[in-house]
Amino acid sequence: MTLDISFIGILIGSIMASSVPLILAASGELITERSGVLNLGVEGMMIIGAISGFALMVITDNLFIAIVGSMLSGVIISLIFGFLTQSLLTNHVATGLALTIFGIGLSAMLGKNFVGIPGKEFPILFSSLRESIPFFGPILFGHSIVLYFAFALPFLTNYFLKKTKLGLVVRAVGDSPVSASNQGINVIIVRYCCILYGGAMCGLAGAYLSLIYTPQWIENMTAGRGWIALALVVFATWSPIKVLIGALIFGGITILQLHMQAIGFRIPVQFLSALPYLMTIIVLVVISRDSRKIKLNTPTSLGRIFYKEK
Amino acid sequence: MATDLRISNISKIYPGCIANDNVSLKFKSGKIYALLGENGAGKSTLVKILSGVISPDNGEVFLNEKNLKLNSPLDAKKNKIGMVFQHFNLFETLSVFENLSIDATEDNKSLRVRINEIFKKYNFSIDLDVPVLNLSAGQKQKVEIIRCLLRSPKVLIMDEPTSVLTEQETEELFISLKKFCDEGILIIYITHKLKEVLSLCDEVAVMRKGKVVSVSQTQNEKVETLANKMVGQKLAKIKKKINISKNKDEIFKVKHLNFYSDDPFETNLVNLNFSVKKGECLGIAGISGNGQNELFQILSGEIITPDTSIIFRNKEIAKLNPKQRREYLMAFSPEDRISQAAVPELKIYENVALNNFKSSNFFEKGLVNEKKIKEHSKKILSDFSVNTDNVELKSQFLSGGNLQKLILGRELITAPELLICYNPTWGLDVGAINYIHETLIKINDQEKSTILISTDTEELLKLSDRIAVIYKGKLSKIMPSEEVTPEKLGLLMGGGSID
Repeated sequence: MTLDISFIGILIGSIMASSVPLILAASGELITERSGVLNLGVEGMMIIGAISGFALMVITDNLFIAIVGSMLSGVIISLIFGFLTQSLLTNHVATGLALTIFGIGLSAMLGKNFVGIPGKEFPILFSSLRESIPFFGPILFGHSIVLYFAFALPFLTNYFLKKTKLGLVVRAVGDSPVSASNQGINVIIVRYCCILYGGAMCGLAGAYLSLIYTPQWIENMTAGRGWIALALVVFATWSPIKVLIGALIFGGITILQLHMQAIGFRIPVQFLSALPYLMTIIVLVVISRDSRKIKLNTPTSLGRIFYKEK
Repeated sequence: MATDLRISNISKIYPGCIANDNVSLKFKSGKIYALLGENGAGKSTLVKILSGVISPDNGEVFLNEKNLKLNSPLDAKKNKIGMVFQHFNLFETLSVFENLSIDATEDNKSLRVRINEIFKKYNFSIDLDVPVLNLSAGQKQKVEIIRCLLRSPKVLIMDEPTSVLTEQETEELFISLKKFCDEGILIIYITHKLKEVLSLCDEVAVMRKGKVVSVSQTQNEKVETLANKMVGQKLAKIKKKINISKNKDEIFKVKHLNFYSDDPFETNLVNLNFSVKKGECLGIAGISGNGQNELFQILSGEIITPDTSIIFRNKEIAKLNPKQRREYLMAFSPEDRISQAAVPELKIYENVALNNFKSSNFFEKGLVNEKKIKEHSKKILSDFSVNTDNVELKSQFLSGGNLQKLILGRELITAPELLICYNPTWGLDVGAINYIHETLIKINDQEKSTILISTDTEELLKLSDRIAVIYKGKLSKIMPSEEVTPEKLGLLMGGGSID
């Protein structure tokens, strides 16, 4: 019996670990979208974060530099997006798609010499507690610092948006950039900041994959997680807490269906593989049914180009 | 302390149009100033310059003899110039308090105290914690005004503030504005409504085509003299003779119209019943947002509601879509010319072709019969005096008035039996309004019927034979228009009852 319980604990711990990149990327994108900017480049920014984090780790042998560097690389690549959409007023959708294609190509090129190099072990916290407490040990302890940060992030994001002045400004800009501009808010700068923040979080999400989750570099290793993060934001109707729930469900069913496949359930593998996508959408649609709340949370100006009258 | 605002030689030129041509004006606190002009006269450009939204090509603004550099809205705020825009500058999804706190420098607690002080002083009352999208237009405007008052302004600019208000709300606004004025705030009131100028303002400056054409004391002016200054020519007066058509056939009959929606931006409609006779104009009054949008969409067939019966020329049409309804000789002119009635990016003749019929032969075997459409469009342009004869012109380059003429022309050239229009003169200038009104009266003279959904009471009283008021999705009883006064309408539009 104790064996079963501790197995479930380990299972939950691994589900949490697998949802970290989704939580990070989706929380970042959520802030970007709340300011009215639709950045479809999440996948591209993540993969750039993954390769630059891994490369920096190999070159400097310093995990701290690698993590910070991956976030910086996310910032730099999102700066391209920001410059194009905010300063040159290009279309958000097209620019975001281009960013993803660019990111995947660039990462493959940069990563050529890093294929097959083993990663470095990432320090985990409270590893002694993990072993000593049954069930809760593997859930609460023995994770990397990035995981703890990721699980705090939706709550911090919620607090930021709802309680702080800056959060109010971000929501105002997303609601009506024209009104915000007429109130003396510098819409372009606010949106730049949100785009760069989103870039940093996507970079971190990528680095989590290549440094912690599966410590190595594989071409195209984000494997569509950026797109899932994007979808999570929309289906969670721009609510950070629902993003967290969605990411956990997605991560949970991904892990569970792998176990089901291993056990040999008589369900077609294709259906099991599709299950996480299906369930996440169904659950998020069901918990976000309130059309009034959707209206209030949706950034009205999402994806629209704003230019200032002169 | 007295405030003294001076505008000196302001010019602003846009490609193809001089919005402000050497405008100089002087204002002193203790008076309410009117800035009067048609659409496109340059009023809005001038106030945008005063509020720092755009910067002028030339000229200067002085406040108490200090030369102001107004490069951004922030500069205007710092110099205590407050501005209430015509299209509200509010954040619809944020709460009232969040809207007010966004540019406040103090903490939330003391801000609430100050807001409550303002509420008490001016007799306002608004729930601070509801999202702005739940407020009526009058309440939204109050939020805008409070936002200005919180910064203790020296100058308060109101850009066409009454276009969305009821008579009662307008009166309340005027009382508040007079109070502000007594407290030493300089008020600049921008409008194209002549009566408001006369009842509220002390001095009036008239603008036409970017220039100030006259500055005078309002007590020396009358509606006619101001109108002539504004338009630059004498206007013909329109008066409709009421059709007392008790014995005529009912051409259009609506029964049990109900509409329910989850969407907080939409209004539910509750059991509407009405009918229209041949050659009659039925007016439906109401403040915007009381269900007119939904009503128009149901009448035009964009929304199909179950259990509703709509009889048109003895046929049940409640389940038909707009195109099918058009085939039965109904015609529609929606409120939003740019996004609903026409596609601005398309050329004029392409917009005409959008309204195609079996009988029109615009399309043959799936191909566009361009020649035929262009001929047809030319006829509309000349019959409805649109000021261009170039059917290749993109519709977005037409002014509001000309676009509306084109839309009405497109709808009317098929000689419909019933025209349903929603705010047909919204945002148009006096000349265009006159033309549209004449056209609508002509339709009734030809024994065709109209349903006029409008937020403009004056227009309704001028054109309708019978009038009903829609309030929160419910229709009042239908009254012959000779029994209706503006006061009565205003009362009903605000949710009051008359008996």
